Amino acid sequence: MKFQSQKIAYWFFAAAMLLLVLQIVYGFIMGFARIGMDGLHDWIPFNTARATHTNLLVFWLLLGFMGSAYFIIPEEADRELMWPKLAWIQLGSFLLVGVVALIGYHVNWWEGRKFLEIPRPLDYLVVVNVLAFLANIGLTVWNGKRYTTTSIVLYFGLLAAALLYLPGMIDFDNQTLDSFYRWWVVHLWVEGVWELIMGALLCYLLIKLTGVDRELVEKWLYIIVGLTFLSGILGTGHHYYYIGAPRYWLMVGGIFSALEPLAFLGMAIYALAMAKKGGRRHPNKAALNWTLGSAIMSFVGAGFLGFAHTLPQVNLWTHGSLVTAMHGHLAFWGAYAMIVLAMVAYVLPIMTGRKLWDNAAAGFAFWLSNIGMVGMTGALAVAGITQVNLERRMGLDFLAVQKEIEVHFIGMLLAASLFLVGIVCFLWNFWRFGLPSDEAVNSDVRAAERDLSRIESTPAAS
Amino acid sequence: MLSKYQARAFFLGGTAVFAGIFLVLTFDTHRQIPKQTNADQITPQVAAGKKIWEANNCMGCHTLFGEGAYYAPELTKVVERRGKDWIKVFIKDPEAMFPGQRKMVKYDFTDEQIDQIIAFLDWCGKVDLNGFPAEPPLKKLMQPAADTASNAGGELPPAVAATIPLPAMFEQKSCTGCHRILGKGMPGVMLPNAVTGEVVPAPALDLVFQRKTREELIAWISDPQKIKPGSPMPNLVPALVSPQEVEQMVDFLLGLKAHAPAN
Repeated sequence: MKFQSQKIAYWFFAAAMLLLVLQIVYGFIMGFARIGMDGLHDWIPFNTARATHTNLLVFWLLLGFMGSAYFIIPEEADRELMWPKLAWIQLGSFLLVGVVALIGYHVNWWEGRKFLEIPRPLDYLVVVNVLAFLANIGLTVWNGKRYTTTSIVLYFGLLAAALLYLPGMIDFDNQTLDSFYRWWVVHLWVEGVWELIMGALLCYLLIKLTGVDRELVEKWLYIIVGLTFLSGILGTGHHYYYIGAPRYWLMVGGIFSALEPLAFLGMAIYALAMAKKGGRRHPNKAALNWTLGSAIMSFVGAGFLGFAHTLPQVNLWTHGSLVTAMHGHLAFWGAYAMIVLAMVAYVLPIMTGRKLWDNAAAGFAFWLSNIGMVGMTGALAVAGITQVNLERRMGLDFLAVQKEIEVHFIGMLLAASLFLVGIVCFLWNFWRFGLPSDEAVNSDVRAAERDLSRIESTPAAS
Repeated sequence: MLSKYQARAFFLGGTAVFAGIFLVLTFDTHRQIPKQTNADQITPQVAAGKKIWEANNCMGCHTLFGEGAYYAPELTKVVERRGKDWIKVFIKDPEAMFPGQRKMVKYDFTDEQIDQIIAFLDWCGKVDLNGFPAEPPLKKLMQPAADTASNAGGELPPAVAATIPLPAMFEQKSCTGCHRILGKGMPGVMLPNAVTGEVVPAPALDLVFQRKTREELIAWISDPQKIKPGSPMPNLVPALVSPQEVEQMVDFLLGLKAHAPAN
């Protein structure tokens, strides 16, 4: 760590970790409700648990992205953050708005639009908050000593994410139009600009961890995010098949959704190729695991499992079933949760000066959480496919089918427990790292890394 | 091989082209949606229903147009499937309608609000969704079994049933949401018993006079859970059906004996 102001990232990450735990708790509440243990129904009905679970996910991922930006941007721009104090105010107010929204969900105060449940007055506060964030890192980039592709892509990813939040705030009396523009936010976030952010973080981590030449890594970053937008923008069409939009979306969405896995496949190959080229000699094995894991799991979860139900002929039966929840879990975990955890695993040793990167807890954290998440996805897949066959193909009553698939949620809860153990291991390490220290600024961890990148650096051969 | 400059051009150019196509398609879609969704039928009542739908995050459990949370049934065609009367009764006390099953929050909606929600769902059901939700293709194979099960009680010959007027309360109080009577009502509704898990059909009611006495029927309708714990038969008395109405229903059912063919 080179600059004092980068330390703010630690607090963004710490807040994100707390919210991750809370997200898991609400996941368990829903899992138990699905096997009939809904004792909390009077206080936390399913719709509250569900909105809280998904919003906590968005909330902690955004905190993770912002924390990453506060760490990366000063370093890439080679200067202190423009307004370090503003970053603190931004963190505090962002948490405050988020917590108020989450409490709101428990007292029936929300907007009731899937993933965008946050009540309208708070929407405006989010906008102000994000503007403060963008101004802070934007001016840091602008006034920096150098402009790097990584920081520019990261900045524009965050800026586009903020702009795309706005269409979700238009009011419509028509449910179809409402839904149409809601997907502008949700889809173009997670299958568009968030991938820009993810790509930039991946690129940064690969440069640091593999020591491969920056020019090469950044060149391929353009290709990857190029492929993402090429498929992802018109891929939005897979949300428009059956909501009352014109029929041509079936063709447009079908074709471009089929291309979406290619972008993720490209990303996975890119990460693995760079790691191979670099020889994987960086001592922070945990961070490298999470980085490569993210690239691979995002291909499996977002690319492959997404494609499993985006063909219109398939989607006619799976649309609105648990198959979507199956895809959603592994996609978000692989693409976004893991890349944030990779950043945390990379940043903590640098910030605290402690080298806790190759211990048992770090290994358990990685493997147990991943195996647990794959297990949860498997349980949801079996439940979803059974639901589709019994309810959509055979026409049995919804509740009768739900009774039939209860057993798979016991499996899901078991897998979720394994996942939780993995996350607890991760947090245990997080705790052991302690707080960021001033001595760590320009510490020997960093020096070692610079040596590594000198030794490993390869000329831009291709 | 590709230079960084070319890679950047690929990214910026590709994004610009596809974002452009997307905007053109959006413009066209925005133009076409009003017709495809019968936007002229969005009355203030429908719009008010949508506001209630959102203010209570109904999508947090249900799906509408296939979008939502998969915890509770898809509601796009619910008005067609259940009828307005059934929904009115159901929303007032969801747990009474599905005792022991997955719970829904009991909202204290006014009658006016319930009408608004139903108007909204009714409008949703008429939107052209490009074939969603599709008719279950294998239902044909299941139908004979379902019919046999729910008609286990037997029905009056259709020619006879057609001559008997069915009192409105059987539809208004949601009986026909599960049972068949005089050729009306949902065929083949089968729900699990909340205690045993056994899936039981709602029997046809035409010939119930052969199976039950007046006292048995009154006791059953008044408190099904007492007689058969976990039964999917809802407990609607006295909140939604008064004891007097129960007697009227039972008298009508027993009166069907006069129409039964002599054999």
